[in-house]
Amino acid sequence: MNSIHYPIIIMLLFLIVGVSNPVIKKKFDNIEKSILMSTFFVAIALAFYTFLYVNIEGPFFYNFGNWGRKFGIEFAIDGFSSLLSLLILILSAIIVWYSFRDIGHEMDDENFISYYTIVFLLIFSMLGITFSNDLFNIYVFMEILSLTSCGIISIKHKRVNFLASFRYLILNTLGSLSFFFGIALLYMVTGHLNIVEMNIAIQEVWQVTPTNILLATGFMFIGLAIKSALFPMHVWLPDAHSSAPSPSSALLSGLVVKVYIFTMAKIVFNVLGKEISQALDIDLFLSIFAAISMIMGSIFAIAQKDIKRMLAYSSVAQIGYMFLGIGIATELGLAAGFFHIFSHALMKSALFLSAGAIIYKKDLRDISRFDGLGYELPISMSVFTIAALGMIGIPGIVGFMSKFYLAEAVILAGKPYYVVVILLSSFLNAVYYLPIIISAFIKKDPDREKILEIDDIPRSMYTSMIIIGFCMILFGMFPNLLMNTIINVVPTFIN
Amino acid sequence: MELIKELLDHINYVGSATLFVIGLYTVLTHSNLLKKVIGINIMETSIFLFFVSIGYISGGITPIIIPGSEDIIYVNPLPSTLILTGIVVALSITAYSLSLIMRLYKEYGTLDMDKIMELRSDGQDE
Repeated sequence: MNSIHYPIIIMLLFLIVGVSNPVIKKKFDNIEKSILMSTFFVAIALAFYTFLYVNIEGPFFYNFGNWGRKFGIEFAIDGFSSLLSLLILILSAIIVWYSFRDIGHEMDDENFISYYTIVFLLIFSMLGITFSNDLFNIYVFMEILSLTSCGIISIKHKRVNFLASFRYLILNTLGSLSFFFGIALLYMVTGHLNIVEMNIAIQEVWQVTPTNILLATGFMFIGLAIKSALFPMHVWLPDAHSSAPSPSSALLSGLVVKVYIFTMAKIVFNVLGKEISQALDIDLFLSIFAAISMIMGSIFAIAQKDIKRMLAYSSVAQIGYMFLGIGIATELGLAAGFFHIFSHALMKSALFLSAGAIIYKKDLRDISRFDGLGYELPISMSVFTIAALGMIGIPGIVGFMSKFYLAEAVILAGKPYYVVVILLSSFLNAVYYLPIIISAFIKKDPDREKILEIDDIPRSMYTSMIIIGFCMILFGMFPNLLMNTIINVVPTFIN
Repeated sequence: MELIKELLDHINYVGSATLFVIGLYTVLTHSNLLKKVIGINIMETSIFLFFVSIGYISGGITPIIIPGSEDIIYVNPLPSTLILTGIVVALSITAYSLSLIMRLYKEYGTLDMDKIMELRSDGQDE
């Protein structure tokens, strides 16, 4: 079979397995688990093959039913979208592997199978946004994504979850509608929905109707900023991410918000093009919002007592880094922003999974009661520590490299004041992450009897955490494994 | 006079922008959960109106090709088809939010967001 069909086959696989699962299976047993994991296995193999194919043969466009660009639906499979789809698949496979035991702690038995249906539709829509080269298609996938991401919060039947899910749904819908209005305004000027055709049309007309294009980009930016929780629009995020079951929080914080950031990069560089977005000062707006977000997210995180709320606010700050990468709009800046998408996905999912393990074993969410926890749950706390040190920016862990690239890009772009923001944000990260590490490993818990015991948590939970922890150190030591691919891809966005 | 003429020529756009703002105002200021959902629906309708107006050409006819006739102006059918998808999306969001509202009413006994927030701050959760 021709390998250009693989991306759509991966998506169909998730759609079919996700939808047919609750019909054919009534009980959540080992057969069900193996069906889910083998789906991931096949999808990762196909995505890896696509990734290699793109790197050897070059990026390609996939037209549905050979309708052509002007009428039909199109997928753009380039180096970055194939890499991002690989990240989405591998990380969600690890999180699903972790969740097999954890969800028993979080929700009712009869909801297990429907939970995985929602998760599969969530992955389906994330892949759709990543590959799609058509703005209306992106909107439709975005709506599926917002419904499913509310679904994996409200599946835990507690009143907090219903409230968090409702607020998330309302704000998410406001974001989608704002994005949709932006699409309508751009369609009015260009008469196309395909990103490539739109770009050609905009380059001809942008000097005639700059207000229209600026308004459209403003609407789209607000929509995507609500959905990816940039600072003033982040109000839904702490409730949603902290009340959700731990695997859902890891999916939401590690992957879902990243897809929206990639969409923003598509709009700024592929739809408008670098020159036009700079002429309309869009990069300036992005950088300012990003810088405010980097500082304010960290300041809010310091005040939190609940560990998952703290991690949620920390996401707000980290999302600022990625938007700053897009806002700098140089090749290295965009590459640093994209690199941070990967490093933050690894670090934040590791943090949420280890926090989930702590909640699973000790039912403990209050940071002030973490004394001596490092001796009771050494594996979980070690993974937590690695990820937290990465967030602060200690060399050797993947988070350091993304900050380093970003700082370098900022200086080369001639905007050295952003280095101050990056350093301040790292310092604030240290203020709220270090006390947890210190109290977990240095302070003594008076009630503890044994000196050191190995985590008494299910095997699927600690193996998945160890894999992510290993990846963080691997990419921290050898960042070029990722960066080389990203650097190769970035010129297609900038020029 | 010029301004009024401009407004009348683009009455669809003006109307949809007004509806969008009315919907946004309803969502943001009303504390009743059902009214928030109604506001969302008004916003969605405003965008549908906007999209369909873009495709309308005055004097155009339904885009069905009649053999043998050359100089006929057709209305752009693409926005209308897109809006069909948009309506489905809007419907599913309304259905999901209404089911969440039912759950919230069962849990908190009220539909007022302010009262729910008060109950939350009293520490009755968990």
